[in-house]
Amino acid sequence: MSVKRKNKIDNGIAETEEALFMGNHAVVQGLLEAGVGFTAAYPGTPSTEIQVRLAKLHEKGQLYFEYSVNEKVAFEVSAAAALSGVRSAVIMKHVGVNVASDAMMALAYFGVQGGMVIVAVDDPGCQSSQNEQDSRFWGKFAHIPVFEPSTPQEIRDFIPKIYDLSEKYNMLCMLRMTNFTSLSTGIVKHRPVEEKLSWNGEFVREIKYQIPARYLLHKGLHKSLKELVKDPLFDEFISLKESSSSSERLIITHGAIYPIVEYMAELYNFDGDILKIGAIFPLNEEKIAEIVKKYKYVYFVEELEPYLETEILAIIGRYNLNVTVLGKEKLQIPYENSLRPDALKEAFSRIVADPNDDSVFYEIPDPSPLPKIFDSEELLIPRTLPRLCDGCSHRGAFYSIKKATGEDFIIPSDIGCYALGQVQPVDVGDYWLCMGGGLGTALGMSKVNGKKVIAIIGDGTFFHAGMPALLDAVEYNHNITLAILDNSLTAMTGGQPSPSSTTWKRKDFNPINLEEVVKGLGVKWIKSVQAINVKENVKIVKEALEYQGPSVLIFKGECIVNKLRNMKTPVKPLSIDQELCTRCGNCLIDFACPSIVKEDGRIIIKQDTCTGCGYCAMVCPVNAIK
Amino acid sequence: MKENKETVNIAFLGLGGQGIITLAKMIATSALDTGKKVCYNEIHGLSQRGGSVQSFLRLNEESSPLFASSDVDIVVGLEKMETLRYLYGIKEQKPKVILLDYFEIRNTNYFGLEVFPEEEEIDKEIKERAEELYIFDRENFKKQFKGNFIPYNVGIFSALTTFEELGITEEIGEKIVKKLLGKNILLSQVNKKAFKEGKKWIKKI
Repeated sequence: MSVKRKNKIDNGIAETEEALFMGNHAVVQGLLEAGVGFTAAYPGTPSTEIQVRLAKLHEKGQLYFEYSVNEKVAFEVSAAAALSGVRSAVIMKHVGVNVASDAMMALAYFGVQGGMVIVAVDDPGCQSSQNEQDSRFWGKFAHIPVFEPSTPQEIRDFIPKIYDLSEKYNMLCMLRMTNFTSLSTGIVKHRPVEEKLSWNGEFVREIKYQIPARYLLHKGLHKSLKELVKDPLFDEFISLKESSSSSERLIITHGAIYPIVEYMAELYNFDGDILKIGAIFPLNEEKIAEIVKKYKYVYFVEELEPYLETEILAIIGRYNLNVTVLGKEKLQIPYENSLRPDALKEAFSRIVADPNDDSVFYEIPDPSPLPKIFDSEELLIPRTLPRLCDGCSHRGAFYSIKKATGEDFIIPSDIGCYALGQVQPVDVGDYWLCMGGGLGTALGMSKVNGKKVIAIIGDGTFFHAGMPALLDAVEYNHNITLAILDNSLTAMTGGQPSPSSTTWKRKDFNPINLEEVVKGLGVKWIKSVQAINVKENVKIVKEALEYQGPSVLIFKGECIVNKLRNMKTPVKPLSIDQELCTRCGNCLIDFACPSIVKEDGRIIIKQDTCTGCGYCAMVCPVNAIK
Repeated sequence: MKENKETVNIAFLGLGGQGIITLAKMIATSALDTGKKVCYNEIHGLSQRGGSVQSFLRLNEESSPLFASSDVDIVVGLEKMETLRYLYGIKEQKPKVILLDYFEIRNTNYFGLEVFPEEEEIDKEIKERAEELYIFDRENFKKQFKGNFIPYNVGIFSALTTFEELGITEEIGEKIVKKLLGKNILLSQVNKKAFKEGKKWIKKI
């Protein structure tokens, strides 16, 4: 089938300008230069900046972008574009791929007509995620080529090439990044793109989409992978940095941490060569074997899992190469967390040591851990814990829930700002699992523990993955209360619209009425309250908890960051009348706004951080806060 | 003093909402403007406000913005506890430290935590770990402004133009502040003033 190409494409050759781009913005630049007209996403840090910029480009009319309700839907709308011959991209964080994977695994079998790339941004160190899964594994699992750039320049350079390969071999591809590549900024040579990119395509029916014998498509997929690795363009994703002297040693590493490995090699005067693998799957076995066989010692430096180590060890076996391999265990490279230079010091001291000296490769026992709340022993430096913002409306809802439930309730929480309610001193919420997982587990918790359970969710997460679980609650009359903390925003990722955002101005956007959705799912007990009425809300929470069966309580309150952003008048901070204050600690301990602190035995409000939200005034039993 | 061509590694440390990333961006944009290579990285956690934020920047370098803590030249701290936490990680040498005179009073009821470092103790520890310590006088800088919006990050940026190894002239600095923070007419006036004032309030201890 031939595709009429409407958008101008160049292969990243013409470079006319230099500018500072963060990795995420370099992704957008790459997409523009590749002529990608159709994009969709669900907000997720560390990939958010890509989406925010695409949303702006949509506003300008340059391409199509939507914040879909979840990653699976985002994937599917983009897949349709690709099946209709339009170059498309779908952007998400690593765990979003789990949600999208049902569609992804099957689309890989179909193949694409217009090039399609799924951008997956991993979060080693779980800086803003529930886990640190390694997306490189999706390639082998889903049979999709996976590429991994190392710098903003490389991100921009890779993308048009990936689209060329995606289209040439009709394969869905993945661009895997990490929080390091995403959030690193560098100078990028690029060609500014001003023209409008079309997103009009035409779907052509093909028998392969319909036939039941899908295993034949699986067969075709393996054939395509074999052809792809032989493509000269595919070779450009692998590069060897050779030292001046011929060396016996080779470090093999991957795109995401290459700059750090290169830096460490220099710092430790490593005299060998470094192989950077930017095409994670499939691996060009022949080429890798040819390179590896020139060395006596091969070192693997990888962040998260020893993926390349395992794969290349198999190649070494198949090609019968006589090399000594030192990997994750021998070099004592942690499996967990992001690999910053300091975390690689031990590994590099081993890499530059004599590989035959066994005394170098002892196992390091785990250091005795400090109590969880401290970072350093020297002077006890407490860890700076993530917290709800000064003036966050969720804090009001948490106060009411805390007062109504006491110690006796199981409180599953979910993914979003309100997950921070679990952090002391707010301390509302027992766990967070995955998007929508709080409500889902609440159903089982209530059944098995034989009592009412109150689950907490935000508006964005409710639409994303909470609705099916609520339907289940109605279907089986599970004895749960769902507290929806509605700020009509995807707030944690920096304030993207959620389906119920009334403030988002976009012509083709219809805000969804949350109450009607809940009603439509069959819930009989629904109440909507303003989160600021903290005292009255305690009673209403109790009512919701007394109801046998599923009840839903919606707390409304604006995101303070968004409110401050749009505020025209200066903030008026509140203060505590020390004459009236009884030092009961209600505001300090139970409400726990970071702006309220103890100083010289008095409770005061920090004037430079108070947002004047007024919640604490509602909490005070003696009206001392004004 | 290092020659201008050499790599300069800078660590910026503070809390969410202080403008750390913008500060790094100002330095990087100035570097690009003067034809230097530069790269930087940002590390932040879950919270919008109040969480730990770090940014690492390298001048005359374009591959890895991250560097070993033993390799840091300048530490720019916008909050004392965050700064000391980083300094504790450096065993090999003492860097130059530029510090905003700010200690955030945290809610001491975290985990019923009674052992909480005193500001004086932290000051002492920072001084011991710095080769040269420069303090940015927050109180006096603040007095120059009427409203609630006080851009300490722009003040520090201004102060940083007095350090030769960064190679940022006053002229470039002013241009960059206008370029990056000049969109909002009201705020741009405050930022302009902050840049003018900033360098007056840095003092070597």
